[in-house]
Amino acid sequence: MASIGQILLAGLSLGSVYALTALGFVLIYRATNVVNFAQGEFLMLGAYFLFTFVEGAKLNYGVAAVIAIGMLGVFGLLFALGIYYPLRNRSFLPVIIATIGASIMFQNGALAIWGSSPERLRPVLEIGGSGGVTLGGVFFNYQYVIILAVTLVLMAVQYAFFEFTLLGKKTQAISQDKDMARLLGIPVTGMIALTFMYSTVLGGLAGMLVAPIFFLQHNMGSIPGLKAFSASIIGGFGDVRGAIVGGLALGVLESFGGAFISTVYKDAFAFLLVIIFLLVRPQGFFGEKVGEKA
Amino acid sequence: MRRRARFLIAIVAGLAVFTASRGAAQMGGPIKIGQLLPMTGNFASSLKMQRQGAELAVEEVNKAGGIKGRMLQLVREDDKSTDPGAVQAFQKLIEDKEMVAVIGSIRSTQILAMLPTINEAQIPVMIGGTNFSLTHQGSRWVFRHRPHDGFSAQVMVKFVVEELKKNKIAIVHTSDGFGNGGRDEVIKGLKARQMEPVVVKAINTGDKDYTAVVTAVKNSGADALVTYFTSTSDLAIFATQAKQQGLLPQMTWIGSPSITTTDAAKLAGDALVGTYGIGDYDPTGNPAAQAFQVAYKTKFNEDTDLFSAWTYDAVHNLATAMTRAPDLKPDSIRAAILAIKKRMGAENEYNFDERGDGLDHYYILRNEGGTWKVLKAVHVERY
Repeated sequence: MASIGQILLAGLSLGSVYALTALGFVLIYRATNVVNFAQGEFLMLGAYFLFTFVEGAKLNYGVAAVIAIGMLGVFGLLFALGIYYPLRNRSFLPVIIATIGASIMFQNGALAIWGSSPERLRPVLEIGGSGGVTLGGVFFNYQYVIILAVTLVLMAVQYAFFEFTLLGKKTQAISQDKDMARLLGIPVTGMIALTFMYSTVLGGLAGMLVAPIFFLQHNMGSIPGLKAFSASIIGGFGDVRGAIVGGLALGVLESFGGAFISTVYKDAFAFLLVIIFLLVRPQGFFGEKVGEKA
Repeated sequence: MRRRARFLIAIVAGLAVFTASRGAAQMGGPIKIGQLLPMTGNFASSLKMQRQGAELAVEEVNKAGGIKGRMLQLVREDDKSTDPGAVQAFQKLIEDKEMVAVIGSIRSTQILAMLPTINEAQIPVMIGGTNFSLTHQGSRWVFRHRPHDGFSAQVMVKFVVEELKKNKIAIVHTSDGFGNGGRDEVIKGLKARQMEPVVVKAINTGDKDYTAVVTAVKNSGADALVTYFTSTSDLAIFATQAKQQGLLPQMTWIGSPSITTTDAAKLAGDALVGTYGIGDYDPTGNPAAQAFQVAYKTKFNEDTDLFSAWTYDAVHNLATAMTRAPDLKPDSIRAAILAIKKRMGAENEYNFDERGDGLDHYYILRNEGGTWKVLKAVHVERY
């Protein structure tokens, strides 16, 4: 029983990382109708930014995190201006290709700046040296618990933002019809830039949270990025609840599939689920049919 | 009929030009040696060490006057950490007709992918991949600078079963050419002692969560764990989680050489304390290794490891062979490499056999308080 608990906890934590990254996908998709394939790289950058301030500049963890989040915001703005803005009036395809290009560029940029050796970042909480506590035979890694908590909080904040605030409603309006939104006096360009900034911060935050568990490496974002993309398809592309549920479901499925069927094919389970969803329910768990959205 | 004849003539002419241009490599100018390196991708963490090992050796050879009055020059190409990347990089290197030999790779799967191209190119390739089959498929052109996995599995099984008296063995391995080969050799070694592994688990390079694997090993009732991890970061994450979930430090664990690397120590920290590893390289293992450690530390201000040691040895063996060979034709270099006997390198004593295997030793090491201590060097019978 204890091992089932352990596997469930691992699945939920991994799922939370996918969910956080998927939230970034969803936000940008809602604002621009474009899939940002560099979302996984934001995760890697967040981790490296935090690492640089914590291990390099020896700053306090909290201070380092705040600075890193600020830098991510700026980075998101530059990303929006450099990658999205010049191509905004083209179809979605050139933008997607541009984000794939950016992702390759960020990975190799990180390789050039931080080197090829993997790095280690200490966990946020280090009580008793083990980084966690064993309850009922299940080891609760503090970092996993923090990841779960942060994900829950962000999920609530984001849901409230979209459903109950004017700014959130404006974002939804932009996603549905940019021209109409502009006519209604919504500053479309500024809002989209803001969305990119927030999504970058979200992705980066996921990276900061997983850095002590995964170790830092230039390619650490690519697999979570891909899984997050799958999670958003399962949950219903463009839906905030969908990203969360899809991410968690994917993490748990992977974890149990690995434990009871095959560890080598655990990635395959995730993608198999995506294929099943695409065939049977392409709009995902929470998604609306395209016709109904308008 | 006429057309076919013309086609044949064209091929023969092409071959003649190809052969002639290979011969041209012997005229003045530097002697070019290609090196495949994982500059990007999953295995990029071993880039620096592999590059610097070769760099130091080339510098030493050139400082001592070069070979036949000519300097050595390394030409590096990115293998992108993938199999197709390695094949492409190799092809790109040998397109330069002045290339006399190639160093790389240390990844067995990449070498397996390159073998047909290597055999066709007929150019000496110094390899560090330890999959048993690499030198046992009849290729005349690969020369191995590390002992193969057949030996490593033999040494690990012998040590765990006969010296540590364990009889319930679990195997965890990366699912690739290296890991699968290692698994097969361990199972073979156990079978020879009328034993079967109690559990065998495979993982993928880049996996981040090993709860399923740790749980399986725990539930199997194993009293010893034998691992073949390709990637050092994977090993470090596995070690950390195994410790957190209570598998370590109780479990007796002996790992393939990646467990003893500097990166593993940096990443996994005290999770590795008390584990055993086997290593083909140890900086204190022999006088040549000690000299290498000093020279490397002076030049790069870093410690040596197996990644730097094998490329260092590869360049020096190649240089020795080229110095002794009457000319720099591939066949002459090949003969001279196979003639290398009792040459002490940083790894250990090189005695090349007809298949291209240079080494037959392994060190058994134990992690004592974070540093690896050599328990003994074990030479095994070649096969």
